[in-house]
Amino acid sequence: MQNDMPVLEIKDLNVQRNGVAVIENATLTINRGDYVGIVGPNGGGKTSLLSAALGFLPYTGGSIRLFGVELASFSLWDKVAYISQHATNFEDQFPLTVRELVSLGCIQKGKLGRRFTQKDWQVVDSNLDFMGLSDVADRRIGQLSGGQKQRVFVAKALAHNPELILLDEPIVGVDSNAQERFYKKLSDLNVERKITILVVTHDLASVFCRMSKVMCVNKTVELAGITPELDANLLLKRAYGEHFHFVYHRHDCTGVFVNEH
Amino acid sequence: MNIEIFNPFAYQFFQNAILGGIIVALVCGLVGLFLILKKEAMLGDGLSHTAFGGIALGLLLGINPLITALAVSVLAVFAISYMRRKKIAPSDSSVAVMLAIGFSTGLIIISLTGGFNIDLFSYLFGSILTISFSDLLLVSILGAIVLLFICIFHRELLSMVFDEESARIIGIPTKRFTILFDLLIAITIVLSIKVIGTILVVALLVIPGLCALKLNLSFKKTLLATTLFSTLSTTIGIILSAIFNIVTAGFIVFILATAFLLTITYKKLE
Repeated sequence: MQNDMPVLEIKDLNVQRNGVAVIENATLTINRGDYVGIVGPNGGGKTSLLSAALGFLPYTGGSIRLFGVELASFSLWDKVAYISQHATNFEDQFPLTVRELVSLGCIQKGKLGRRFTQKDWQVVDSNLDFMGLSDVADRRIGQLSGGQKQRVFVAKALAHNPELILLDEPIVGVDSNAQERFYKKLSDLNVERKITILVVTHDLASVFCRMSKVMCVNKTVELAGITPELDANLLLKRAYGEHFHFVYHRHDCTGVFVNEH
Repeated sequence: MNIEIFNPFAYQFFQNAILGGIIVALVCGLVGLFLILKKEAMLGDGLSHTAFGGIALGLLLGINPLITALAVSVLAVFAISYMRRKKIAPSDSSVAVMLAIGFSTGLIIISLTGGFNIDLFSYLFGSILTISFSDLLLVSILGAIVLLFICIFHRELLSMVFDEESARIIGIPTKRFTILFDLLIAITIVLSIKVIGTILVVALLVIPGLCALKLNLSFKKTLLATTLFSTLSTTIGIILSAIFNIVTAGFIVFILATAFLLTITYKKLE
């Protein structure tokens, strides 16, 4: 697949929740290999936009295409992984180990009910290793820290070898060090495995230091490439309001991240 | 002195009872575990009470009451599912409404046909020791269907119970699976009626899974522990009830409750 092939194309999209417009006339294109931070005020429609793109929330106008196919007829869902903002809100008592949860990512459409082979478990273990979870593989998921829980869900997503990962605010209740490590891991995935990543986040520093594009969502949607010429402050003011002020210098990024070279 | 020890295993009726009991315990424990994880344990209770209406109908029409109970349970579980999906009523209220409709219909039919009798009593509280060959056959066939489904699709079910949205994305047809699982619950309820009766089915559905969950095991081991709790309690209950000539359901639930108390005490002491 070519690098500039569109993974997600949205045209003149309108989305409503309970009769109220939450996304208006959104048009954007996400290409293969993009690492996009989705930002914007609470209630601005970030989750609604993702939900619509995944077909969870019906839209009232416009069009959505995934991998070049109209959403209504899109069927290659094994290319897509989604981690919802509720993913880590499971009960601590849920009887599932880290390895078992990640193995659920090996379930394949069209091959339901198949027995897992040694190869499946190898995939599970290598992704646990990649996400730095080998040590806790046999622990119950309820015993993990916030940061580990997020990585488990990414490992689960990776188990079915997706080309696009959508993460909705996976960082709530995680300390800033773990948060930085997490975005670094996503960056590795983006670079090493060419996985397109869209992540809803409130961590603006990570977006501008780490990612290739920023998407501002507040009913309207604005997508911009993160380049030295980009006036981040102006862009964010349009989404968050005039009072908003974001101080950001590109050279500040060095050292922001743990393990940064 | 010549002491004769009563050995129930020497009797065919008892062997049938143990076999039927174990099948039902396996099915109930496993389906119940998924129900607990879905936070829908009371769906089992609601359906079993609704099934009472079906039993009364069967007795009235002279059809095997398990067949009519199955039909009514399937209708009821789909009605509950429909009410929930269309947001006509919340989950627990939908269950309450169906329970009331089914049970009251049963009461009317019973009154019309001249009141309670031994037959009805055996469906309310179970009568595994007198299970007929045809009922045992029905229990075995339906039980095998449920067990086979769970064996093959336990990962898909688990994935759905854990997070339905991501299960759908991964390619599991969640709507179809929900319908199938609803069907399994209805079948499970009807199977259990012979063993434990409509009133106490919920105990066999919920307590084994609850005991296993208290042990904080992996999913695989939780499944195993659940089946151990359910089959052991049921077997011991049937043996004791044959020896002391006391209603089986009472013994089974008493042992389940004891197991539950022991488990939580053990966890507290640990």
